This record gives sequence, structure tokens and C-alpha cells, in this order.
Amino acid sequence: MIEVKNLTKSLPNGRMLLDGISFKVRKGEFVGILGPSGAGKTLTLRCLNGLLKPDTGEVIIHDENGNGRDICKINKRELRRVRQRIGVIFQGYHLVKRLSALENVMIGRLGQISTARSLFYGFTDGEAAEALLALEKVKIGHLAEIKTGNLSGGEMQRVAIARAIFQLPTLLIADEPISNLDPSNAKVIMKMIKPLSATMPVVGVFHQPDMTAKYCTRVIAIKDGKVIYDGDPKLSNDMLVEIYGEELSLIEQQEHAVPAMLIN
Amino acid sequence: MNNRNMPYRLCLLTDFMKWREFSFKRYRKWLLPLLILAAMTEGAAIICGATFGKLEEGLLKGISFLGFMFPPDWSAFAEMVQPAFQSIVIAFLGTVFGTILSVVFALLAAANISNPWVRNITRLLIGLERSIPEIVILLLLIAAFGLGSMPGIIALSLGCIGMLGKLLADTIEELDPIMMESMESVGANKMQIIVFGVLPQIMPNLISYALFRFEINIRLSVILGAVGAGGVGYELDYSFGMLQYHRAFTALLVIIVMIFGTERLSYILRGKIKMEGALK
Repeated sequence: MIEVKNLTKSLPNGRMLLDGISFKVRKGEFVGILGPSGAGKTLTLRCLNGLLKPDTGEVIIHDENGNGRDICKINKRELRRVRQRIGVIFQGYHLVKRLSALENVMIGRLGQISTARSLFYGFTDGEAAEALLALEKVKIGHLAEIKTGNLSGGEMQRVAIARAIFQLPTLLIADEPISNLDPSNAKVIMKMIKPLSATMPVVGVFHQPDMTAKYCTRVIAIKDGKVIYDGDPKLSNDMLVEIYGEELSLIEQQEHAVPAMLIN
Repeated sequence: MNNRNMPYRLCLLTDFMKWREFSFKRYRKWLLPLLILAAMTEGAAIICGATFGKLEEGLLKGISFLGFMFPPDWSAFAEMVQPAFQSIVIAFLGTVFGTILSVVFALLAAANISNPWVRNITRLLIGLERSIPEIVILLLLIAAFGLGSMPGIIALSLGCIGMLGKLLADTIEELDPIMMESMESVGANKMQIIVFGVLPQIMPNLISYALFRFEINIRLSVILGAVGAGGVGYELDYSFGMLQYHRAFTALLVIIVMIFGTERLSYILRGKIKMEGALK
């Protein structure tokens, strides 16, 4: 379980980027965070694995035994230990493009092996087999030896998911994992992320309300650094307008018109 | 100006006048700098006593001297092979050790890997190294190690840091920050990020820069050889000193072939690297 309490973050000029964000995500939940650009979604997500330190507030991550730790107040070494168990899928392509897909998957466990071993790319045969299994789970086992730089966007994002699976995390964070993908690839990726929430809390930032309505178990909407909605993934039209502004009503109609034809 | 009622020739003339007026206005600001440059060139020539007369005289002398050196002494060719090989080996070892040193310096000088203090100090050292000619380093090293290939190799290795260190540090600083963050996010430490993220990503640049530096080092090893690091440069210097001009000509030809050969080789290899990054 991950618990976020009253996060705040402000710019030196006093503008509040995060203004008291609080929520809890339990195992089995797939939470989608929605909101307009600049609302503080990605900032919130970066606080969840300590890439960003909030001004005030707590991010408490509970391990399997239920012991909670506030990751905003631990030192670098301990933070690295906590991060070993946090899977991350970033916006766009964050993989090492000149390493093969398999090697990229193995990076998921870098934090868990010794520095001496990693100096020589020293993964055991067992770990290699496990990494290959993770790639097969996302159905790209045949691409294991290909350099990720030569893969397509959808395939790269699958490698990222395989990396997260191989890492054996207790929490998964996804920052706009489907932003750069075509509609059918986006669906495939969502379908692959969803089952992971059976064993760990999954938190993702999305820009597609129709996708979160379909695959998420809960939606949190953030606007101007505040949580303005937390609940059922199927948002009402009024709520959507409140999140994204008046222009949305027009866009929404188009969006609903097109996928209806595409789905069948 | 309305030129509809004007004779054709007059039209051309007025056009030309307009054009001249325009270009003079536009390029007037270059007049003063050009005059200053011309004055400085003339002044410098007077100070160091260079005249076109002397240039002509020297050129004629040089050409007749070349004729004097001709033909090369092919019997000395066999004696040149081993020194030429030694020059190549000095350049090669200098490049290998120099590249390794440069990677270390580049990592310390990259803002996204090292901390600001270390970065600035390392950048300063790299800049300082760049300002010291290899020949000065060699002369200092000869005082410590004596004559031979050893000071040559060390001088060339150190000489790499100024150029490769700077180029590689800039390459590392341009790496995708999201990639580095994503490795940080799985709990990887600095060393692991370097081994799995930085090194694979900079490898094509690294190899290409190293090959380019190898070309430079081949040329430098000839010059350093003449100063005291041995090799084919020494043969050239020695032959001139002994007034064996035909032998010197042979050495010159060997040097030209050696440098031209490595340049072509390095060019071809660097071309291959670029191809490798592209889609299959």
C-alpha cells in the first residue's frame, strides 16, 4: 500500500505546484491520475519514488509485512533500497537504446545485485531465463536480442513493462505510458499493465479519460495542485468539463464518435 | 524611379547605380575592419621580416633541394620498416591509454554524473591540458624517463585528455536525462548507471573520437620521434643530421604513406560505425 499525505511543493516565486495532495492506493487497485497539463500529475508521481522531494508532506510506502516508511525522510542509500521494489514505466522512451531488449529488462534488477557483478554484466543464467520469461509475458520474446533503439514505440513500451515485471516490485508507477502510442497499441499496453495490479498497487498518469474509464479501478483528478476528484473511473461529462475546461465538450463528442466505429 | 519611359541602356545604368548605392550602404561596416586587418598584416610582415621576394627565393631553393634529395635511397627502406612500426605502436598505445584516461576524466567532468565542484575542477584540468603542446609534455617526461618510446606513449596518452575528455564529457552531458532517471528509479547506483547506461550510449562516439585521435597521434608520434621518442621521426631527423638526403627522402615517403594509410583506414572504420547505428 502507498499513502500520500498532504504533499506541497512551491516555486521560489510562491506559486503552488502541489497544494495538499493526499490519497491512498491499496494492492489490487489500478489508479489513473487525470488532469490538464501543468496540474501537478507528473510532479506527484515523481514524489512517489523520491525523484522529487516535496516541501512538506509524507509518502509512506508499506512493505509486505505492513511496515510503513516515509521515503521523503530517508537517506540516499535507504532510498536506493526502497526503489529496488518500485517499478517505473516512464513517458516515452526511457530505455538504453544501444542495449538489447533482454539487457534492458535486466536493468530492472540492477539495484538488487552488487556493483562488482554489474561491472561485468554478471547476471546468472537463472536471471537471464527469468528476464526472457518476462519478455515472453509481454509477447516479444522473439525480440530479446534486438537493440531497443531499433524497436517500435509499442515494442519499447512492452520492454519497459517486462523490465517492471522482472524487477518484482511491490509498487508500480507509470508516467503517461500510452501517450506516444497508436490507439490499438495503447489498449494492448493497458491490458498488460492491468493484471499487474493483482499483486501490487499501480498508479499511472494518463491523458485519456476513455482509457482510464475502461481499465482503471479508480480515478484521481488533479487540477492546480489539488485533488478535485477521487472515485469511480467513469467520469460524468460535467466532471470532465471541470477537469479539462469548456473546450472538452466538443472534443469529447468527436472522441466518442471515432472509437465507436473503430472498436468493432 | 519610374523606368517605363526611359531608354533601355539608361535603365541598366540607373539599376546599376541603385544597386551600388545599396551594397555600399549594406557592406560599409566591413570597410574599417578590413583596413585594420590589412594594416596589421603589413605590420606583422615588417616585424618578422617576411617579404614576397624572400618567399619566391625560398620556394625556388626548396624545389631545387627536393631535386637534390631525389631519388630516394631504397636500400635504406628495410631499415625504415621497424622504426615506422615503432611509431605506429607508440601512437596506438598512446591512443588506447589516452582514451581510457579520457573516459575517466569525461565522467568526472560531466554535470549529470559528477558533482558541481569536481566537474568544474576537472573541466579546468582538461582545459589546461589542452593548452600544453604534446612536445612540451614530452620534453618534461624525457627529463624523468630518459629517451625512448615510454615518454612518447605517456605524452600521447596525456595529450588525448584535452580533446577526448572534452568531447566525451559533452557527449555524456547530452545523454537523455529520462534514461538516467529511469535507472536511478530501479535503485541503481552511479557505477551501475555508468556501466549500463552511459558507456553503451557513448560507445559509437567514443570509438569514432578515438579513431580520429589515432590519426592525430600518428602524426604527433613522428614529430615526437624527431624530438627523442624514437621511431621513424628519429630516422628522418638523423638522416638530415648526417646529410644523407636520399635516405631522408625515403623516411619522408614512409611517413607520408603511413599517415595517409591510417587516415584512410580510420575514415573507413568511422564510416562503418555510423552505419551500425542505423536501422537494419
